[in-house]
Amino acid sequence: MKVLAAGVVPLLLVLHWKHGAGSPLPITPVNATCVTRHPCHSNLMNQIKNQLVQLNSSANALFILYYTAQGEPFPNNLDKLCSPNVTDFPPFHANGTEKARLVELYRIIAYLGASLGNITRDQKILNPNALSLHSKLNATADIMRGLLSNVLCRLCSKYHVGHVEVAYGPDTSGKDVFQKKKLGCQLLGKYKQVIAVLAQAF
Amino acid sequence: MALFAVVQAAFLLTLLSFRTYQSEVLSEPLPWTPESLEVSINSAQQCLYLQWRVHNLTHHQELKMVFQIEISRIETSNVIWVENYSIPVTWNQVLHWSWESKLPLECVTHFVRIRSLVADASIPEPRFWSNWSSWEEVDAQKSLGQDPLFVFPKDKLVEEGSNVTICYVSRSPESNISCAMEDVPIHGKRLSPNVSVFILNDVRFIRETGTNIYCLNPSNMSGIILYVSKVLEEPKDFSCETQDLKSLNCTWDPGHDTTLRHQSSQRYTLFESFSGKTKLCEHKKWCHWQVAPDSQETYNLTLTAENQLRRRSVSILFNLTHRVHPMKPFNVFLKSISATNATMTWKVHPVGNYSTLLCQVALHGEGKVIQQHNVSVKVKSQYFLSELEPVTEYVTRVRCAAANHFWKWSEWIGQTFTTLEAAPSEAPDVWRNVKSVLGSHIVTLFWRPLSKSHAHGKILFYNVVIENLDKPSSVKLLSIPAPANGTELTLDQCSYQIHVTANNSVGTSPASIIVISRDPGNKNVEEGRIQGTEDGFSLSWKPQSGDVIGYVVDWYPQDPRCQLQWKNLDPNTTSTVIRSDAFRPGIRYNFRIYEISTERIAYLLEKKTGYAQELAPSENPQVAVSNLTSHSFSLSWKDYSTDSQSSFIQGYHVYLKPKEEQCHPGFEKVVLSDDSVCCQYKIDNPEQKTFVVENLQPESFYEFLVTPYTSVGEGPHDAFTKVTIPDEYSHVLIRIILPMIFCLLLLMVLCYLTSQWMKEKCYPDIPDPYKSSVLSLIKYKENHHPTIMNVNDCVPDAIEVVNKLEGSKIQFLGARKSLTEMEFTKPAYLYLLPTENYSGPGPCICFENFTYNQAASDSGSCGHVPVLLKTPPSQLALLTSPENLLKTLEQNYVNSSGGSPAGETSLNYVSQLASHMSGDKDSLPTNPPGPALCSEYRTQMAVSLGLASPSPSENSSLSSVTLLDQGEPRR
Repeated sequence: MKVLAAGVVPLLLVLHWKHGAGSPLPITPVNATCVTRHPCHSNLMNQIKNQLVQLNSSANALFILYYTAQGEPFPNNLDKLCSPNVTDFPPFHANGTEKARLVELYRIIAYLGASLGNITRDQKILNPNALSLHSKLNATADIMRGLLSNVLCRLCSKYHVGHVEVAYGPDTSGKDVFQKKKLGCQLLGKYKQVIAVLAQAF
Repeated sequence: MALFAVVQAAFLLTLLSFRTYQSEVLSEPLPWTPESLEVSINSAQQCLYLQWRVHNLTHHQELKMVFQIEISRIETSNVIWVENYSIPVTWNQVLHWSWESKLPLECVTHFVRIRSLVADASIPEPRFWSNWSSWEEVDAQKSLGQDPLFVFPKDKLVEEGSNVTICYVSRSPESNISCAMEDVPIHGKRLSPNVSVFILNDVRFIRETGTNIYCLNPSNMSGIILYVSKVLEEPKDFSCETQDLKSLNCTWDPGHDTTLRHQSSQRYTLFESFSGKTKLCEHKKWCHWQVAPDSQETYNLTLTAENQLRRRSVSILFNLTHRVHPMKPFNVFLKSISATNATMTWKVHPVGNYSTLLCQVALHGEGKVIQQHNVSVKVKSQYFLSELEPVTEYVTRVRCAAANHFWKWSEWIGQTFTTLEAAPSEAPDVWRNVKSVLGSHIVTLFWRPLSKSHAHGKILFYNVVIENLDKPSSVKLLSIPAPANGTELTLDQCSYQIHVTANNSVGTSPASIIVISRDPGNKNVEEGRIQGTEDGFSLSWKPQSGDVIGYVVDWYPQDPRCQLQWKNLDPNTTSTVIRSDAFRPGIRYNFRIYEISTERIAYLLEKKTGYAQELAPSENPQVAVSNLTSHSFSLSWKDYSTDSQSSFIQGYHVYLKPKEEQCHPGFEKVVLSDDSVCCQYKIDNPEQKTFVVENLQPESFYEFLVTPYTSVGEGPHDAFTKVTIPDEYSHVLIRIILPMIFCLLLLMVLCYLTSQWMKEKCYPDIPDPYKSSVLSLIKYKENHHPTIMNVNDCVPDAIEVVNKLEGSKIQFLGARKSLTEMEFTKPAYLYLLPTENYSGPGPCICFENFTYNQAASDSGSCGHVPVLLKTPPSQLALLTSPENLLKTLEQNYVNSSGGSPAGETSLNYVSQLASHMSGDKDSLPTNPPGPALCSEYRTQMAVSLGLASPSPSENSSLSSVTLLDQGEPRR
């Protein structure tokens, strides 16, 4: 529950500021109506591409900042502590239709956004002096929020998809500190890996 | 014996019966045994929590019981802890007990059992332990996840310096697991194939974010964060005080901050024992305590510092009125500020009924406390500050404390003020220098600026009043604006009294008086020498007259740009040491000692000169060499000033580099600093600045050096001057040869003049027609060019070739061909310029040169010029073109310079006009005659067209060709 309160709920409240925000979102039936609050930008796909490129360009720096801030043994044991072995990470199929790819992208970004919120919360407590890391985490989360909004807009305006079921990463609030650091590192390693694929796919 | 056997049997039976009873009692369960034992784990605290009940207690029954608890590790037989826990037990009570394990509970399995004993006085003895409960197994590893490797304890908080036990638990038995703490490997003990234990002794604080401890195998890594905090200290300097008797402000020094990230920080609470009130403090260093309105006077406050590991307390007991720390005063003002006084006013905050405060007033000037006074104050007060200096900035401050029970001063509060100006309090220190020039005295007055303490403000100007003592009515006033420190006066031979005063905006200082006597005083004081030391110049003198008001020593360096300095001395003083930071080594200082008479007239007593420190001369004199003979030369350095050197010149050394082993008489051999050997001559008189070096060898080469020597050394041995000694007869030769050369030159000049005269008389120069005055006559004519003759305007000339067939033979140098090979049947005319195209007539002038050709002159012809011609007739036509003609002529001319005898083959130059005069009509071409205006010209030279052909000089050949260009005439 803590992860919902700290990371996911604010994210969803921002994105879906209406009644029922925060509950799992099923894919809207094809014939259901989907209305966006504001008209989508005409050049939406370009914006999505640019946001993915922007995230991809900063992912490695974020990863390095993170594991450096954790101290030893993280920088010298990336294969054991930061390998991208994230369970339940949403899949992505680059050869799917644009609609399918956008839906998968939405799930991935929602997953990453929530995880990033948890990491940011943890790091502010565990490493309060790592200001550059905090700044980078916040900047990445901001871009993800924008990207999520754009993807949803695109899904809604073109494919009439208003709701997508999403899954979130493991809750780290009950974990011990070392485990929190390790999970965060694994997630950012996974993020670095998957964002490159996404940037290539769009 | 039988009795003994009976007694023994009876004792045994009794004992047996007792044992039987006892065994029956023990075998039955006691009614108050612990039951429902439950064991749980708190991983964060690493504690085992036990809870149980005691049944069979009646309602409202309370028994004091003792519970014995055993804890085993790994196996039940391995008991590691036994503890008796005494507690009064009531009906249906759930009992709790906890135990903290040093080894993380997740590392191994623990077993717990318990039994009880009634220790209540209401239950008669004997008392027996109940049976043990069954072993309760505590296996935390069962609840671990699926990870292959675990490290425990997680996120443990310990104090710095404590010992920590950690372990790793591996899912599979592995031997190649290594562990480290912050990159430093740690070594442990294996408890089981899957578990190893590490004991970390005396752990130190590394950082607030914890210490990383991790274990890894080839494929996995796991770790923990160990939080090591500083040891919580007892608060130091705990103190409480009040400013208004309404609240207490308690402060303390918390010592080390034990706060760690991810862990709660230390807390502070205040507890007052009389009122029983407690307050949780919000800050780590201070806390406010509200004073009770019930006039509680005595307080017993306890400050407790607490964190997760430790708790410390400190208490103070005090009377509230003895802890009054007033607030700093306010409304501090200064009024009635004058040059020496000011009044300071201020107010204080009331402190309950204790309104009498003791205030301290401090006056600061120039960074230090000048005055300090204590004043009793109710609410408002003032203090009169006196004995201040004019025009001085002061800071006055005030602070207050409780008058009855002093505890602490309040903070200072202050104001800055500046006193007003006042008239200067002291006369300026004045001295003078007098020079007598042409019946008048030039008096230079010097004065030192008044010190700040005497000036009492900014000095605006100095008044100089000159009073003629011989004419009392004659007074002159000079006003000299500041910051001048002197002036120059020109006075006549009368006696004068000079008053000098300094003036600021408020008033005038007392006057400083100097009298200039008409008598200049003792002029014949000889100058003595004085040697300075590190302490200065020590001077002493003998008083000449007993009636003096003081002495003055003045001094000045040799450098005239530096100003005169002086020192005033008491009338009883006969010696002094002159010290000055301005004294420099190598500078000569001149001292004069004056006595000041009661009439304020200064009389010179002594003159001294000396150096603070003598330095060796840095330069040698510029030496001039004169009177150079074959055996001697003179050296002179008269421009060398002995007074302006860096030490007293004692004499000079003349060094001469010897040509032989022996030095000249008077010289002595010395070894210089560069190990060279020189002959040295010593001149003891510093004013002797000439020296004659004698006994030299003619035609030789000498090197010399003149350097001054002093008490601290001589001048530098720099470059020697070279002198070459002439031979013995050179001067004689010069005396003979020079007149001879002069006579010879005179003779040559005479000869030349004579030859010129002869030339003018016998064969004068041919005048240059271009320089003739005739040219000026023709300027008015239409001819635009001041020429002799223009070919365009004239009938072309022709060269008449007179071929003498007597076999005369002209050898042409260039063609190696004889003219006799050419056959001419009639005189051939060589047209220098084409006649057919001749058109415009023009004026021509012919000048007759009688020196040119006698034959031509005789015949009256002005144009016959002998020209050698080698061009064959067949080529004549080619010559009609100007270019060919030129080429031909050039060749001919060159060949003609070979000099064939005149008369054998003659080329006559025939001008158009001359042909008429000569009467040689047959030889003339059929060309029409030239214009009548054309003048006749006969020249003696050939003239080139100005092209590349060389032009022969006028005298180079007897044969000449006149070649007239069609264009611009050239000579």
